[in-house]
Amino acid sequence: MIPMIDLLMVTISFLLITAVWTHMARINADAQVPGPPREVEPDKVEPEKTLHVEMRSPDKFVLIWKQSGTVISTIDVPRKDNLQVKDGKKSIRFPELAQKIESEWKTVGQHKEASDKKLDQAVLHTDNETAYVYLIGVIDAIYQARRPYTIAGKQEQVPAFNVTFAVN
Amino acid sequence: MAIHNPGRRLMHHVPLKFVAKRVSGGSHRDINASLSLTSMIDFLVVTVVFLLISFNASGESPTAKNVKLPEAENTLDMIDAPMVAIAGSQILVDGTPSGNTRAIEDSNRLQRIDELFNILKSKREVWKQLHPGKDFPGVVVLQIDQDVKAVVVKSVFQTAAFSGYPNVSFMVNNLPRSSGGGGG
Repeated sequence: MIPMIDLLMVTISFLLITAVWTHMARINADAQVPGPPREVEPDKVEPEKTLHVEMRSPDKFVLIWKQSGTVISTIDVPRKDNLQVKDGKKSIRFPELAQKIESEWKTVGQHKEASDKKLDQAVLHTDNETAYVYLIGVIDAIYQARRPYTIAGKQEQVPAFNVTFAVN
Repeated sequence: MAIHNPGRRLMHHVPLKFVAKRVSGGSHRDINASLSLTSMIDFLVVTVVFLLISFNASGESPTAKNVKLPEAENTLDMIDAPMVAIAGSQILVDGTPSGNTRAIEDSNRLQRIDELFNILKSKREVWKQLHPGKDFPGVVVLQIDQDVKAVVVKSVFQTAAFSGYPNVSFMVNNLPRSSGGGGG
């Protein structure tokens, strides 16, 4: 009995010392910057369709599908800023935008198979005045669309898009 | 000094009856309280189970003072990478001051932050020296206050990308997902 109590006490001490009471996480975005020059030029591949999400207007988002600079389609999504503040922490959700992006991906997206290792590309454009919390809200909405993805024979749900943050 | 027989001495000089009764062991309640072993083990097991459930192997990421992070649902676990924090107008890389955003806010124009660029570049070179032959992951975590303007975010983002860190992660507070699936 005494060794068991000792074990429980040691386990509790370890878990209390290493306990994390705040739940931090991260949300990904990459930058498309030129890499170092290659010795062998890669074969030319057909440019893929890219979803550009523009949040420059206060009353609407604009979704633009482009392929190598050519606009394929443009969709306006009404913007409703439902900013919630709790204990000084702000959070904002754009459920209509998330739904529209998901339905657009289902019709236009190119990488849907679980065996497909590539993800569709979304590019976020914003003006200089937008607060950071709104950027996170939109990136979160883009990541809402999910698809199956096979890793080492195991299927998981991953975001359908890879998000690039445009600095221009 | 006279030699006395061994025995209880403590508090015997106090001229009160109830004290004398207690110190001589005449009280009703036993001095040695017993502990229920079953209840104690139950309590310990419940505590261990709770702590094991809330255990997080990815560890704690320190947050800079005066930084209030926004919340997001579709998140990933934290990773070990250089942490760039924007606290007020100050830029910190792993807690070390590395520039200022005041010039960007005043001009409202996108610009490279030279001090941040140099520190991130030197960190990249140190990593390459420590891990020869390995591909550099190029990941940096940005810890930005929820009210910071996009022009500052863009400037820090671009500076990080040009210094060799194109894979940027924004640190957020994790919200449980409202419908299905786990963290991305």
